[in-house]
Amino acid sequence: MNSPTGQDSLEAEALDDTATIVRLYAVTDGRTRARHHLALHTVLGPGRRSPRPGLAEESVRIVELCGQRHRPLAELAGTLALPVTAVSVLVSDLIDAGALAFPIPDRRSEDSDLQLLHAITAGLKRRHPNATAKAG
Amino acid sequence: MTQFPQPATRATAKLVIAGGFGVGKTTAIGAVSDITPLRTEEVLTTQSTATDSLRGIEDKTTTTVAFDFGRVGWDVPDPVELYLFGTPGQPRFWSFWHDLSEGALGAVVLADTRRLESSFPAADFFEQLGLPFVIAINRFPGTTPRTAVEIREAFDVDEQVPLMFCDARNADSVAGVLITLVQHIANTKSANSALLDA
Repeated sequence: MNSPTGQDSLEAEALDDTATIVRLYAVTDGRTRARHHLALHTVLGPGRRSPRPGLAEESVRIVELCGQRHRPLAELAGTLALPVTAVSVLVSDLIDAGALAFPIPDRRSEDSDLQLLHAITAGLKRRHPNATAKAG
Repeated sequence: MTQFPQPATRATAKLVIAGGFGVGKTTAIGAVSDITPLRTEEVLTTQSTATDSLRGIEDKTTTTVAFDFGRVGWDVPDPVELYLFGTPGQPRFWSFWHDLSEGALGAVVLADTRRLESSFPAADFFEQLGLPFVIAINRFPGTTPRTAVEIREAFDVDEQVPLMFCDARNADSVAGVLITLVQHIANTKSANSALLDA
């Protein structure tokens, strides 16, 4: 992974499109569009209702993962090794069923942005006291 | 179901790590991430350039692209969870680069002196998008040193764009790049609001 010849894991080999697409259709009953707009960074947490019995294995896993900690859509897809589109469809269904929820309201102002930027700098410096930032 | 402590109050932020093939994006994300970077796939449907246009048949082509995802979080001094998204090498699918950059605060354009040009499209993309970015040159052992001035000239970006050297394998080095980026975003925002106030 650290090889200087450049083995970026995500591009090292050609992707097997067919396998991905088969998995996509298999878990979503052929649906490729989610009802909710979910971005890759949309954070999901547990909903107020327990998931109904008889859910697909993948949906059960999603509810479990979000019950452990809040997770963004991209992380769910990567963890389950499913295409983002497939996970979006499943997550949408789970939101409608009340088994998942968006825990963090996506509202931002200029001021809160600046506060967040300062919080990131402070946190990174605390974790990496030897990190040196280039001025400007 | 086991309940783990919920980092429910963590504010989330998204940063993008871009650059050409093999410049060390996955390595850089792995250096600072709390989790091993996840390779995540997305399926894109594109209208293929019709070889059959005479017959009026428009073929849809389905392509899979992959990106990296990593995250790093903390609760002190302020609870934050930082999401790191590594782009596919070339911005061949512009719509997907837009999806990856949606909601991002800023980006790192990672480059390798042996093939700087492979990272030019990433710098051009963020410049056009108006998303603040920094250029970080990943030092590979045994490469011919090039000066920051030479590299900046090659990239032909605004002189406000910070440019630095780093080691993508080293957590402190990558953290330094991220701190520089976040400070640059803050400076850009302050400068913009000063302009609006004037």
